[in-house]
Amino acid sequence: MTLVETPPAPVRHAHPLRAETVRGFAPLAGAAVLLTTAVVLGGSADRWQGGWAETRTELHDALLVLLPLAAAAGCRQGGRERRRRTEELWGTAVRGPLARFLVSALPLALWVAAGYLLAVAGALLATWPYARGDRPYLALLPADTVALAAAAVAGQVVGRLVTWRLAPPLLATAGFVALGVSLSARESAGRFLNPAFPVAVGEVPAGWQPVAAIGWTAGLVAAAVLAHAARRRYAALLPLAAAVAAGAVLVTAGDGPWRTNPAEGRQVCDTSTTPQICVNARYGELLPQVTAALSRVTDRLDGVRNLPVRFEDRTGEPRADEVQLPMLTPIGWSMVRGRLTDPEQYAWEAVAALQRRADCDALDPRVGLADDAVENYLAPSPAREQFDALDARGDQEERDDLERRRAARARLLAMGEEERREWLSAYFATTGSCDSTEVPAL
Amino acid sequence: MNGVLLYARSRALPVTLAALAGTTAFAVWAADRMDTYLDPHRKLPLVALAPLLAAAVIGGSLHTASDELDRTAVRPWWPRRQAQLLGLTALAAALLPLAVLGDTPGFGPPAMIRNLLGCTGITAAAAAVLGARLSWLPAFGYVTAVYLASGGVRGRAVTVWAWPMQPGHEAGAWAAAGGAFLLGTVLYVVRGARPEGPRG
Repeated sequence: MTLVETPPAPVRHAHPLRAETVRGFAPLAGAAVLLTTAVVLGGSADRWQGGWAETRTELHDALLVLLPLAAAAGCRQGGRERRRRTEELWGTAVRGPLARFLVSALPLALWVAAGYLLAVAGALLATWPYARGDRPYLALLPADTVALAAAAVAGQVVGRLVTWRLAPPLLATAGFVALGVSLSARESAGRFLNPAFPVAVGEVPAGWQPVAAIGWTAGLVAAAVLAHAARRRYAALLPLAAAVAAGAVLVTAGDGPWRTNPAEGRQVCDTSTTPQICVNARYGELLPQVTAALSRVTDRLDGVRNLPVRFEDRTGEPRADEVQLPMLTPIGWSMVRGRLTDPEQYAWEAVAALQRRADCDALDPRVGLADDAVENYLAPSPAREQFDALDARGDQEERDDLERRRAARARLLAMGEEERREWLSAYFATTGSCDSTEVPAL
Repeated sequence: MNGVLLYARSRALPVTLAALAGTTAFAVWAADRMDTYLDPHRKLPLVALAPLLAAAVIGGSLHTASDELDRTAVRPWWPRRQAQLLGLTALAAALLPLAVLGDTPGFGPPAMIRNLLGCTGITAAAAAVLGARLSWLPAFGYVTAVYLASGGVRGRAVTVWAWPMQPGHEAGAWAAAGGAFLLGTVLYVVRGARPEGPRG
């Protein structure tokens, strides 16, 4: 009889990082970051979906919530060895304290970053079908992701040092309050050190700003880790010096690296209408919708003189021969998910923009009658019938006023084409003026 | 020492009471420093965060260090669990409104108590599902996320899902917070905190 000897199966030693990554609290922390970002984005979808710059800003603003959350998650992870009572056992390990720290800190930081990046991918996918031009903005993403991972590692250092069960929620609340208070300090240059400081939709960073921001957050946390766990603690001075240098650059540069998005200055125009219609290049594909919404206005103004050349949609004041297109941004009011929410209201706003009398303190009743008749002819407000019904039920003065308005509207409608064109030409020569003597009688 | 005192000590209730008092003191101090005369909405961070912190404190006290031993007991645990949760919630509900007393339309004591009920409900439910040590996480994530998301959102649904940010008289917000409290209380009282074990 012969014995068949099977060679022993080779023992596979998985790297400890693998076990730490796939088990325990780290995946849960990543899920918490993902879900929290999802709540932020889901609740405010009307505000950002369909605008690439708005999506970027919303994702960056979420750091106000995610940084404290990541720090608190790290703080809980940091207390793990104490809860397991394995601190003494670790003391007998061959690996040094820094390696032991990193093997539990890095997986958590990676999961937190992965949760955020997954949420970013979801947000970009959600914006894509509704975007009306422009391109995704990813310049803030590396610095934001590093800041989150750094917060998780920093929280872990705190968790190693503070033994209280309530330390994680306290750290989360304190972090939230500190970031929030720092945001409200609008004047101080120190606010640029806050990784969650607000970035306006129309701003883009210079190329070096994310590098300095990464140097600041990562350097600071690396210094804390080395001071806590390295054998030679003075090694912490090196990243600390780098962090201080990056921080000094951020503070002294102030607003410097933040410049107006070049796309905000360009516009897409339809020159076939009177006046011409221009829409900002950031959502240039909205132009057909805007042209359609204003088609009744522009059709009826065909051949009328003294009109501005175009509706413009750039940042800053309109030129002398232009008027401001009614506001499409911030997203969430006139434009939601790449569509005009209320074309009738929008057309009425456009007529009001052409009349340019919003700044007049008090209008002569004659001007008011002419304005109302022109609005009624070009683009009546959706609320007009409601206001008329209110006046019809009001006192004698309101009823008389309504009668006069109706009579003026009827007179403008009853004019012949040519006569009305002449009257409108004379009327538009007076827009922007609060003086009643110039407005043609109706 | 009788059973009630022993139970209170085993759930770290003295520290919990001190932490609740500290939360109230912090809230009163912060309210005193806020300039809310012109804009009552500036009280919102306080009305959202103070109940959140109090709920985290209450959630931390639901931890038991002797879970396996507890399960061998003859007497039922649910009356004690219920008394502990409701008692601490009632105490916090009596203390926290001290920070927003006076003329604060919308964000006064009713909003504070509603947010406390909602946050405590989520925390108690989380203690039953995730364990008491981690019970602060869902409430913190949700309330702070809603704090960011709900600004400028219109519609009726927002009064329900963004209940922590609503003025004190919104019925939908009360329904959501009350529902969360009821669900969390029932879940915790029936099941107790999830055993965490030494590996937690």
